[in-house]
Amino acid sequence: MIRRNIRKRREYLYSKSLEGTERALFEKKRLLRAALEEGKPIPTELRNEEHELRRQIDLEDQQRQVPKSIVDDEYATATVREPKILLTTSRNPSAPLTQFVKELKVVFPNSQRMNRGGQVISEIVESCRSHDITDLILVHEHRGQPDGLIVSHLPHGPTAYFGLLNVVTRHDIKDRKAMGKMSEAYPHLILDNFSTQIGERTATILKHLFPVPKPDSKRIITFANRDDYISFRHHVYEKPGGPKSIDLKEVGPRFELRLYQIKLGTVEQNEAKSEFVLRPYINTSKKQKTLGA
Amino acid sequence: MAMDLDEPLDAAAVAEMGEAALQRLCDADPALFLSPSADLAAAARAASRHIYSSLAPLSPAQPPPFPSLLAGPAFDAEQIWSQIELLDRPLLPHLRRQLRRLEQQPPSQPQPPLEKPAVAEREQSEEEDGEGSESEELKEEEEEEELEETDDVEEMGDDYEEEEELDGRERKGVEDKFLKIDEMAEFLDRGDEEEYGGGAKRGEKKAKKNWMESDDEDEEDEDGDEDDEDEDQLDLEDFEDDDEEAEGAGEIMYKDFFEKGHKKEAKKKDGYTKKVQFKDEAHEIEVDGSEDDDDGNDEQVLSTHEKERLKMRAKIEQMEKANLDPSTWTMRGEVTSSNRPKNSALEVDLDFEHNVRPAPVITEEVTASLEEMIKKRIAEGQFDDVEKPSIVPSKAPKEHKELDESKSKKGLAELYEDDYAQKAGLAPAPLSISDELKKEGSALFKRICLKLDALSHFHFAPKPVIEDMSVQANVPALAMEEIAPVAVSDAAMLAPEEIFEGKGDIKEEGELTQAERKRRRANKKRKYAGSHKERPASLQKD
Repeated sequence: MIRRNIRKRREYLYSKSLEGTERALFEKKRLLRAALEEGKPIPTELRNEEHELRRQIDLEDQQRQVPKSIVDDEYATATVREPKILLTTSRNPSAPLTQFVKELKVVFPNSQRMNRGGQVISEIVESCRSHDITDLILVHEHRGQPDGLIVSHLPHGPTAYFGLLNVVTRHDIKDRKAMGKMSEAYPHLILDNFSTQIGERTATILKHLFPVPKPDSKRIITFANRDDYISFRHHVYEKPGGPKSIDLKEVGPRFELRLYQIKLGTVEQNEAKSEFVLRPYINTSKKQKTLGA
Repeated sequence: MAMDLDEPLDAAAVAEMGEAALQRLCDADPALFLSPSADLAAAARAASRHIYSSLAPLSPAQPPPFPSLLAGPAFDAEQIWSQIELLDRPLLPHLRRQLRRLEQQPPSQPQPPLEKPAVAEREQSEEEDGEGSESEELKEEEEEEELEETDDVEEMGDDYEEEEELDGRERKGVEDKFLKIDEMAEFLDRGDEEEYGGGAKRGEKKAKKNWMESDDEDEEDEDGDEDDEDEDQLDLEDFEDDDEEAEGAGEIMYKDFFEKGHKKEAKKKDGYTKKVQFKDEAHEIEVDGSEDDDDGNDEQVLSTHEKERLKMRAKIEQMEKANLDPSTWTMRGEVTSSNRPKNSALEVDLDFEHNVRPAPVITEEVTASLEEMIKKRIAEGQFDDVEKPSIVPSKAPKEHKELDESKSKKGLAELYEDDYAQKAGLAPAPLSISDELKKEGSALFKRICLKLDALSHFHFAPKPVIEDMSVQANVPALAMEEIAPVAVSDAAMLAPEEIFEGKGDIKEEGELTQAERKRRRANKKRKYAGSHKERPASLQKD
């Protein structure tokens, strides 16, 4: 296991170093392809390598046409396998926090909740890896109010750290009977206003927590980015009067997420590189829109 | 009669009488004042009346409350006194302001010519008072103002301000509604008082005291004059070592300041003599005392310079101490909670810019807008779900060989011949195009496989076993060793298990004991009997 991990790490570093040259190669191939299609003369810088490039283009298939990046690597098999999520909390959780985590368990399909007990994070991550779990979600709190969410993609994947605000749990709403039971079908997702590169990255991280839904599923989970604050909403809809009228019923907890860090390793890797860190105390922090628009 | 109404009609005669009365009072032996005398009282009244009437035109409040002093024998001291006070109340501040203006102004300003007959009277009164040039100027200025004044001048405050404003506009363009030179001068004087222990106003104060105490108001003017003198001389003397009233107005020379020692001392001595002239004895004594004290280095009463020096020293010490001491925690750089007193950050008013955008408050509108967006997306059917992956073929498509259904021309034996020849390598295989590609393909694949194997350091699963049929002769080892060549090994011979499968101790017939022979036979029988039972019933013997 250790050697395997070492090998994988070396592989990762090597592929990362190749990324640059691969991108250049891809660029050349693209130019050549374009020139060939349009019937224009081949650009002069490609004259020497034209023969080799042509051969490679012929041997390419759909997959190889897109340049790969390590980011894609992390979620490459995510589409093939269904995600398997483990939910847990910080140590000694309070009752409201455990309630909130139970609600989250219902929100994410294919998820399991585990009591934290006295386990160390590294132990948890090891056991997750051996059980083939794809994502680990940790929820933290402050005096009963959930205030932190850590989403870690497991085989060496990225970890996203969110702060939670304005949490409204289903337990808070008194009129439980009116709400009814929560549908457990695989939900459709709406990811709104994630336009920057970091926004896209966050969108993929959140997206791959959910499996592929059926087209006629009535359950909708929304992550809407407004001003770098991501609003999570969970609705069930009905179309009572034909396709145009839509009746939304809110179900499930509602909270705001604020991304403050993305790390390129799992939770337990303290020295992992940071892809993004929130800097709220620089002078231009008001102007910065990291997630989009 | 109660009232002495015998006033001569002639103004000059009246003035003369007043003068005479005044003179008599002056000449009178002071001892006479101890006992009440009607004569002296009458003289005093007359003198008062005279002086009052000479001052009345000068008063800023025109017309004065009483045009002439009612000082008949029916009026007692209190009443006369209050009348005088009525006149004087606005007069004194007015005089003071005039003096200050004079101080600022260079005294050599040309005065406009005066023409009113009232001037004559005033000049008379000036002569009586026996003042210096400054007071003349002062009076002239007063006259100017009164010339300028119009009828409706009732309230003193407004008067003064108006006058001052008019003058100011004439003289300096500096003054506006915020800056008034006179007020500034007043402020400065107050500051001077504080700095120099009230020496500036000492004369004036004493004068006031005297004015309060004495019955005669001829002292007023003189004290007023003294004030003028004092004030004029003050700011010139502020920076000298000498005491305040040392020199007269026009006698300060360069050498007094910038040449050391003896000249000043000479001046000091002059000061001594001059001081003696003042009527203010208490003031005198104090001043003399201070001179002596300075020489003797006593701390009780110090000169202004000494005081100034002490003050400066104290200030310097204070500032040095402040610089050396550790500063308050707010003035230090980074201060953690352990470096400052407890709860001190709660008391300080910290103000800094919050660069963080505040957290969003989820209002109805926000929720409504979100739901709008969601509904729109649902209506369009545009979701951001995870896409199912397109199935990539992991295996290459099978090659379909077309069967040739015509009869083959070669016989079976010949086919076998060709196969054997190929395997043995005797005849070269017929080349075909697909073979070439295949060869290339296999060569490429071999290269890749080699690289992959290198990745795992050639630790990989062993080669798959290719089952080949080949005949193995079960020749005993001895025979092989004898005939076969040295290179042939006996590893390809049959293994012992392949010769015999069984277990336990094998004995031959000759080795068996009787009991064992019997056991074997019994077993045989049992087996035979068992197998015979399975035969169909018809074949069984009855």
